[in-house]
Parts: sequence; structure tokens; C-alpha cells
Amino acid sequence: MFTGCGMIAGQNPYLIRDAVRPLPGLEVSRPIQIENGVPSGSCPVYHNQIYSNAVQPAVINNVSSPLKPMPVPVPPAALKLGQEGFKKVCRTEEDSPCPFPGLASGVLEMRVKEGSKIRNLMGFAMTRMQGEKGISGGCVSDGGLRQVVFTGSGRAVTKTITCAEIMKRKVGSLHQLTKLQYKVVKEVWESSEGGASEMTVHRTVPSISILLSKDPLDPQEPGYQPPETLGALWEEREAVESAPQTPCKRTLGPLPYSSFPHCKRVCLGEGVSVHAPH
Amino acid sequence: MTDQRTPGMSTVPQTAPVLTDSTSLAVEMDPVEYTLRKRLPRKLPKRRNDVYVNMKTDFRAQLARCQKLLEGGGHREICVHGLGLAINRAINIALQLQASSQGVLQLAANTSTVELVDDLEPEDPDEASEPMTRTRNNSAIHIKVFYPDPQ
Repeated sequence: MFTGCGMIAGQNPYLIRDAVRPLPGLEVSRPIQIENGVPSGSCPVYHNQIYSNAVQPAVINNVSSPLKPMPVPVPPAALKLGQEGFKKVCRTEEDSPCPFPGLASGVLEMRVKEGSKIRNLMGFAMTRMQGEKGISGGCVSDGGLRQVVFTGSGRAVTKTITCAEIMKRKVGSLHQLTKLQYKVVKEVWESSEGGASEMTVHRTVPSISILLSKDPLDPQEPGYQPPETLGALWEEREAVESAPQTPCKRTLGPLPYSSFPHCKRVCLGEGVSVHAPH
Repeated sequence: MTDQRTPGMSTVPQTAPVLTDSTSLAVEMDPVEYTLRKRLPRKLPKRRNDVYVNMKTDFRAQLARCQKLLEGGGHREICVHGLGLAINRAINIALQLQASSQGVLQLAANTSTVELVDDLEPEDPDEASEPMTRTRNNSAIHIKVFYPDPQ
């Protein structure tokens, strides 16, 4: 389930820096230049060379790097490569551990990309899920695949969710399991000027994997969603919110989410300092 | 379609139908100009530990707010919600929280569809056109970020 945890924890410093400094660029690279003993008003050529050195921590196979400066924030530097006369020549997504352990190998995996057309994705996935009724007649009539996984990262995340939502609406009574993780993307950048320098940048992008299954899934698994909760989440939340007004009635009903905050509210309403058991 | 319907009109000089066709088409394509006003998503249930992520507020501020809720606020779980474009940011916040907790925090993500209403207001009030509304769907994510209960 959380096989990715080790990886995520290992990436910690980078990630946090990314969070603290989402804006790329100038402020970040300026101290680097000073650190290397070059005035910040240096000409673009120098700047370029120094820059490639400064990115060193992110670089695996840089050609020439006499200086090994202290680690610098990587993601902002990577964002700036495009302005520095570097061209992205290759982008590969590294294999991340499957977020659904114990999944059968033959499951259809839909990899949603930024430019994928939803009608293409859904047209393909729906025919596979519904099975070819016309071809093989009665015996495979209720056939089709039992499970499908939609995965997407970066800007394709929204599209991935939309695909899953459309499929839930069309097929109906699908069990859902949603997992989030960081995906490591390896980018190879090449200098358009010298041609000699090449650098590899590892960056992390958020990715989502949604498993939709006709068969029941483990409801205890975090990220599980039972069938037919179309748009019901927000109404459920309202019910939770209205709990303080009617604490007595609400305590018995099963709640869609962990009962802790609800329980706490009830306690407050009754003026008894009892803590939720856990 | 038009060929089948108008056998008699073939005698009419070619230029005239072309003209009328184009004008009628233009009218069909562009009836009245409307301004599209997006309403806010309806009902946002809000507990103390609900965080609605948007794209206007600074990312760091939103992350810090979540961290404060989890660490200082004494909440054992918070819900991070994102709608549309903000889904990405919501996921990012949740994953950052998990990463900065050294993997102690767990995530449970749910997705949903939210119905949004757009108002179409006619540009020209003199035109005999009614204000219209149009509904569309958008995807949303709800991520529960929580400390797992010690078993």
C-alpha cells in the first residue's frame, strides 16, 4: 500500500524546498553566482556556464563540473532551463511502484496524458469494459473487463479524474480506489549553443491512480469509495456539518468519514469532556 | 439534405442562394452576444478542519495553513478539497504534508463531480433575449490527510 513511502521520504529536502519556493528563478540563481565568485551582472555566456554548474546536485551526467557547490534548490533551477538556451530532448517517466499491490496483471491501464482526448480514452475504455457484445453473442454478453486503472500525472490529473467520473456515471456500481503519489520524471536537457553539455534533471510531479472495479474492493483501504456516491460527497459533508444542531440523532448514524471530528463536536455540544477512542 | 429538399431551386442563379445561406448561417451561429458569468460552486460545507484549495491564494500560505491545523490546531485529520484546476494543487499540498511528516500521515483521496452553473446575460439589453443559465460538470477531489490510529 505505502510502498512509495520510502521514496517520498528520501526526496524530502527537494520536495520541501519546492513547496517553500514555488516561484523559480532569479532570486534563486543570484546567490549561486555570488557564491561562485562571479558578479551577478555577468554576461549571458558566463551565466550559462555557471548555471550548469550550479545545477550540479540535480545533474547526474554533466560533462564538466569543477565546482561542487552546496545543494541548491533543484526544481526552480529546472524550471529555468528553458530560458538558458537549453532544450529538452527527452522526457521519461521512471517506473514507480504500482499503487495497487495484489492487482491482477491483465488489468487495463489507461495512461492519461495532457493532450489525450477524453472521447478517445473513453471510447476505448468503455468498449473494453462493456465487452464485445455484438461479436461473440450470448456467452460473453456480460463480459468485458472487470477492472480498469486510470493514471495521470502533472497537468493530466484533472483529466484523469474526469475520465474516472464519466466512467462511474456510465457504467454504474463501480468500486473505486484512489491513490496519490509523486512520480519521478527524468528529463534530459541539451545545450543549444555548445552542444557538448547535456544534463539530466529529476523532478517530481504529483500523479493519481484511480482503480475502478466491478468487483468489491477492500473498504478499509484508504482512498476507497463505494459505488453510487455520485456527487453525494458534498451532501454527506453537509450532514456532518449540521451535526452540532442535532447531536443526539446524529451520533447513531454511520458517518462516511472517520467519526473523530464529529464525535468531538458532539462532546462539545453536550458539555462533556470525553475524547474519541483511538 | 438541402439537395434533396430543393430540386426546384436549382433554377435560381447560383450566387443568390449562396448569399442567403451564409447570412442565415451567421445568424444561427451567433444569435445574441452573452456575457458568461460563472457562479460560485454551490454549498461549501465547512468544518474547522476543511481546507478549500484555490488558485488565487499563495501556495505556501495554503500549505502553511494545513500544517498549522495538523500540528498546532490539534486536528488528527483534515480534509483538503480541490475543484478543477485546483485539484493539482490540492494533491500537491497533501503529498507535501505527507512528505514532511516522514510518511506518518496517510492520505485517502475521493473524487466527485460537482455541478456548476453559469449565467448567460445578454450583452444588449434591447434585444429580446432572456438571461439563460447553463450547467456543466467539473471534477473535484477530497483528500483526507490523517494520522492513522494506533492499533
